Amino acid sequence: MSETGKVRLRVPSSIKAGDVIRVRCLVIHPMERIERDKAGKIVDRKYQYIDTVTVTYLGKVVATFETTQSVSENPFFAFAVKATDPGKLTVSFHDTHGQTYEGSVDIAFS
Amino acid sequence: MADHAMTRRAALGVLTVLAGGALTLGGPAPAAAQALGQNEPLDAALKRVFGGRPMKDGTGMIKLDIPLIAENGAVVPVSVEVNAPMTPQSYVKSIYIVADKNRIPIVTRVTLTPASGQAYMGANIRLGETTDVRAIAEQSDGTLWALKREVKVTVGGCGG
Repeated sequence: MSETGKVRLRVPSSIKAGDVIRVRCLVIHPMERIERDKAGKIVDRKYQYIDTVTVTYLGKVVATFETTQSVSENPFFAFAVKATDPGKLTVSFHDTHGQTYEGSVDIAFS
Repeated sequence: MADHAMTRRAALGVLTVLAGGALTLGGPAPAAAQALGQNEPLDAALKRVFGGRPMKDGTGMIKLDIPLIAENGAVVPVSVEVNAPMTPQSYVKSIYIVADKNRIPIVTRVTLTPASGQAYMGANIRLGETTDVRAIAEQSDGTLWALKREVKVTVGGCGG
């Protein structure tokens, strides 16, 4: 998939200081599932799937997702964060092949 | 991560179980995550992750939002909201999603901080077949709350 690693982030359109906002994020990723050969034995190789998702807001880690292969392809995650100050919210996805995909959004108050 | 291991240790105290627990939680986050998703039956997974600690009934405490019937097991939206304060003194430390009959029963573990403001998480998960899905919330003092719901799956999504 040529689009692998594309991150989409969504925050509410109007945020007031002190609001607890819900952020949704998605990354284009194959999240390879375990393959089995004809005998039903698990094919032993290093599967590429996302194992850690880190949410950073104002330079501090707010939430961490540890994921397994039971999570869907093109994984979607949602979480809450308390918007205390305007600043950057970054979500980074780390997969088992050592790749990191990152997306960020600026939290601004209206 | 470190205090996670500490509370487990304090709660367990039994040497044999401790050995298993140290294996899971000894390393940094990526190593722990790798150990998190293992091909194992549900009982073994729960024992490995929670070490047989008692779980309280989370009815009224946890709101688990998941479709009753999932037509496509490859993408099942799930969201969990825990009705608990998020203050530095007492907060929801982590939320687990467990799919009983999946080959890899532990789907995800979310580690939260008081900065989250609300104990909420959402994700798209895979379900191999009709199964119970559990949401388990762990509070900062180590209390576990669990809630489960059955999801009927028309087409399985775990393949393999």
